[in-house]
Amino acid sequence: MKRWLAVVTVFRKEIVDALRDRRTLLTVLISSVLMGPMVLLAISALVASLESSAELREVVVAGLDDAPTLRNYLERQTYTVRKAPDDFEQRLRKATLADAVVVVPKDFEASLQRGDGPIVEIVADSANQRSQASSGRIARLLAGFGRERATLNLAMRGVSPDVLEPVQVEERDLASTQTRATQITGMLPFFVLMAVLTGALNAALDTTAGERERGSLEPLLMNPNERWALVLGKWGAVACVGMLIAVLSCFSFLPGQWLLRSDTLAAMFQYGLREALLFLVVLLPFAAAASALLMAVAIRCKTFKEAQASATVVMLAASLLPLINVFSLGQDAPWYFWVPALAQNLLMTRVLKGEAIGMEQVGPQLIGCVAIAAIAVWFVARTLRSAAIK
Amino acid sequence: MIRIEHLAKAFAAPAGGRKGLRSASPAARIVQAVSDVTFTAPDGHITGLLGPNGAGKTTTLRMLAGLIVPDAGTMAVDGIDVGTRTREALARMGVLSDARGLYPRLTARENIVYYGRLHGMASDAANARAESLAAMFEMSALLDRRTDGFSQGERMKTALARALVHDPANIILDEPTNGLDVLATRALRDSLRWLRSPAGGAKCIVFSTHIMQEVERLCDSVVVVSHGRTVASGSVSDLLAQTNERDFEEAFVKLAFAAETSA
Repeated sequence: MKRWLAVVTVFRKEIVDALRDRRTLLTVLISSVLMGPMVLLAISALVASLESSAELREVVVAGLDDAPTLRNYLERQTYTVRKAPDDFEQRLRKATLADAVVVVPKDFEASLQRGDGPIVEIVADSANQRSQASSGRIARLLAGFGRERATLNLAMRGVSPDVLEPVQVEERDLASTQTRATQITGMLPFFVLMAVLTGALNAALDTTAGERERGSLEPLLMNPNERWALVLGKWGAVACVGMLIAVLSCFSFLPGQWLLRSDTLAAMFQYGLREALLFLVVLLPFAAAASALLMAVAIRCKTFKEAQASATVVMLAASLLPLINVFSLGQDAPWYFWVPALAQNLLMTRVLKGEAIGMEQVGPQLIGCVAIAAIAVWFVARTLRSAAIK
Repeated sequence: MIRIEHLAKAFAAPAGGRKGLRSASPAARIVQAVSDVTFTAPDGHITGLLGPNGAGKTTTLRMLAGLIVPDAGTMAVDGIDVGTRTREALARMGVLSDARGLYPRLTARENIVYYGRLHGMASDAANARAESLAAMFEMSALLDRRTDGFSQGERMKTALARALVHDPANIILDEPTNGLDVLATRALRDSLRWLRSPAGGAKCIVFSTHIMQEVERLCDSVVVVSHGRTVASGSVSDLLAQTNERDFEEAFVKLAFAAETSA
């Protein structure tokens, strides 16, 4: 009973201490909790601008005066034709021009009549994302022109246009709206994971390396308490801070969703209370394990600064491990669910995709988190005494 | 009452000065921090642990506080063996160690009450105790300020109040006057004298220092430690008589550096 009193005492003190560190807390809140919705907004702005340029039905052409046939076709497709500026290549490179430019050669009309197959260029800069996006649309538009010419020529010779299309190709997309959305929202789990880590980082370092640097660890150990009780209290407090950040960042996507500017994206990104709660099921154990791990790394360091450097390794691992999934294009291997950070990433992605997650996926990461937390807490308790006197 | 007998502790110091990469690290140097320290500090008595820098005072006190496990020797606090019943012994000691860091975001009161709670005190009792200690150390005005901007003396008072929050029968202070100005040192001395008196609880006070004047002014008996061993003990006048000196500093140099001076 008395032992648990010590745990509670340490826990309370560390929570008060962490919450009074207003400046750090505010930085974490702004950078990690607001980051998710911000990214969402940025994505939605991008998608909205792509959609609007698709809806505009505009085409930028250079040298169209020499090609009345093509102009006729474009206008019949209800496209607005804009004349390309003279320095369009430079403006494409600088990304001040957001549309691909069609370049028509001088002798277009004549060689079309002769059947020489004049070359029409579509100029885009692949580093200029938006021009690249419009170039596909323009290519399809011009292909339509080619098909129309061919059909007319064949019809004049009394050949059925079907000859040109011996096979009919139709695309059928099996992905559900949610699956398609994860192509865009796939980075959200990563942001949430990093938010939890940065949230727990400061408290984890302050309760370990910070205590050493201040010289408050040695007097602390001169109280008649068991070391595991002290460590448990500290860990509880750090984990709570991490979990608080997890809760805040999970729920920050709910209002973030209302701000989505693109209707398509809003329809695809289905993130409601159910998804938020499922995220938390994944994130809370992760917050607890990450806190313990950060403390274990930091307890070996004499100063806060040194501990920050060491903690970078943990942060780096947490941001690189999810990439395993990106590099391997196949199915998710069962062992993925055993790898910390990767497992959480996968599970949250599944939640976003609207796929079912069962115990066989949640179980391994839960076991992993418990194991990491237990080993790390044990290590901190074991190291505490030698850390205090050096 | 604190009894320490034949205490010894050696550390493996990391080999200093790397001599090129090709030679493997030389065998770790063994530093005998404490080789044979023996003393008894009775209740109602201020015992000074006097020794030059690096004599092993801090190591001895850390072993007494259970932070370091000794290689040999026994330590008992009010008859409780520190080695086997560390937590019970700690509950009877108030230790102001070399490291006396406070939590800067907590107030002085919160710092003190935190330790009281860790000693198993009820919240009200710890608060009341913090107030009475603050009155004793003349820091009542500071009690509800955050310790962030405290001066050296204010920090020291807070740390001392924190160490004494559970009203321990044995008080151990490691160089408590380090960094204190004259007034703060005098105030501390007065507090320690009061704690020694029957009205203050007739505490057993052990107090390490390397400053002669403090020992002369305050201590009932002195334990001279040098090179990790007790080289002499007794009252100031005992030690003067033993060395045939009239000046305590001369007596101390004779006792502590006997090997160096005779060589």
